[in-house]
Amino acid sequence: MNTVGASFRYEFRMQVRKRSVWIVPALSLVLFVLIGGSLLRDLFDPASRPPEARDAVVGLALQIHALLTIGFGCLLADRLIRDDRLRVAPILDATPARPGARLAGKYLGATAATALPIVVAYFGFAGAYAVHTSAPEAFGWALAALGVVIVPGLLFVAAFALTVPLVVPAPLFRVLFVGYWLWGNAVAPDVMPTFSRTVIHPLGGYPLDVLLDFHGIDGEDVWAGPVPGATLNFLRPDPTPAAAWLSIGVLVVLAAVALAGGHAVRARRIR
Amino acid sequence: MRPLTLWRYEARRAGWAALLGPPLAVALGVVAAWANPLPGETTTARILLGALEMAIPLAAGVACGSLTGRDPAVEIQLTAATSYRATLLRRMAVTLAWTAVIAVLTAAVLIATGWWARWPENHGPVAGQLTWLAPTLGLSGLGFAAGAVFRSPAAAGALVTTVWALQQFFGDAAQQNVAGRLLYLFATTRGAVPGDWAANRLTLLAVAAGFVALALVVLGHSERLIGEEDE
Repeated sequence: MNTVGASFRYEFRMQVRKRSVWIVPALSLVLFVLIGGSLLRDLFDPASRPPEARDAVVGLALQIHALLTIGFGCLLADRLIRDDRLRVAPILDATPARPGARLAGKYLGATAATALPIVVAYFGFAGAYAVHTSAPEAFGWALAALGVVIVPGLLFVAAFALTVPLVVPAPLFRVLFVGYWLWGNAVAPDVMPTFSRTVIHPLGGYPLDVLLDFHGIDGEDVWAGPVPGATLNFLRPDPTPAAAWLSIGVLVVLAAVALAGGHAVRARRIR
Repeated sequence: MRPLTLWRYEARRAGWAALLGPPLAVALGVVAAWANPLPGETTTARILLGALEMAIPLAAGVACGSLTGRDPAVEIQLTAATSYRATLLRRMAVTLAWTAVIAVLTAAVLIATGWWARWPENHGPVAGQLTWLAPTLGLSGLGFAAGAVFRSPAAAGALVTTVWALQQFFGDAAQQNVAGRLLYLFATTRGAVPGDWAANRLTLLAVAAGFVALALVVLGHSERLIGEEDE
């Protein structure tokens, strides 16, 4: 446990001090505001914002998660391979610290540090909205959305972003990742086979639909459940609270599987 | 060093992502078109042209963003007679040339098989090549400049992918004003206001030139390249 804690601390500090970890989300938000059409602007416009605080902050969570997680995954893609590139991996492997515990600490530390600007941005906007509209309950909904939508999605993405570059060059991983993010989250299931609206949906379809009762800004969207005529419908159970918790569990388990796979690949290379 | 040897070396330094990215992008686009069950050849043609306009520029943009910061001993590069920025520009040229080979071959196959003509907004076989050329150069210029400024392939890749995804997710909002329409990457397959297409393509080319110029200015400051790395 000490190893996990120690590597968590140094990985967190190392990553949180990287300028790009803060500059990339900041630039993304500036572009997001400039392009318009998002809640970043509409939250403060009485004519455009959703009437309910819950819809406003959960919609904000969805938009910030959809956009900033792309930079999050790209920034994390060099964390694990970096040890090999800088040739410090053999030195770390020679220490008594177990490689699995070091990997867990690195994963949690780098993930927490890279997620910090996203959380700060989200609560910054949600807080400004709560003050602007005198709706303190917005904080509660923001915390709930963070816990059931953003955090599971980020944990899932981070595990693959750390480990896939062990077998695929990091720049290529970034290309494939953003392609996956669009395909697996935004493509309609009746257009082509996709993980969108399944329990493997890092944008959080089931928790959004069931746990947060969010159906889009205009209240007409469905985020989870079977789609007539679509493939992979066996991964789309009816939206119930149990299915939503299952969806969160599946994301976390897949993250653990990815980390275990990465650990196995590294162990084979050391041998 | 013979010139051909030099170019081969630069191609290797550009990395596997530059080599594998464009063909993989086309392959995934073809798979997506094949997997699309919607009736009508127009939709399939749109996805196939989308591989040219969306997937190839993304691969090239991220590859160009990964050029700076790859050399393990950049101090040696800075002592060479050839300036380091000329070396990086050569690697960008290699990356883009390979991307162009893949894109032109793909376009030729689409034209020969008739899929090109099935998308109504194809703009012909010659001017229509701007479908991939303009967004490829635009995103590659952005990636190259971001790589030069941040000296971090991770940051440059993050920025390129975010800009690309932002225009995918918020395509309608991006086209609400003139600036957004002129800078829209996917004007061929996701629509442009009639008459805006040529202006959009030329704007992207001009923006690419601006980004490359910015990168060359930034890369001219050698001390930045040997300073503290953003690891």
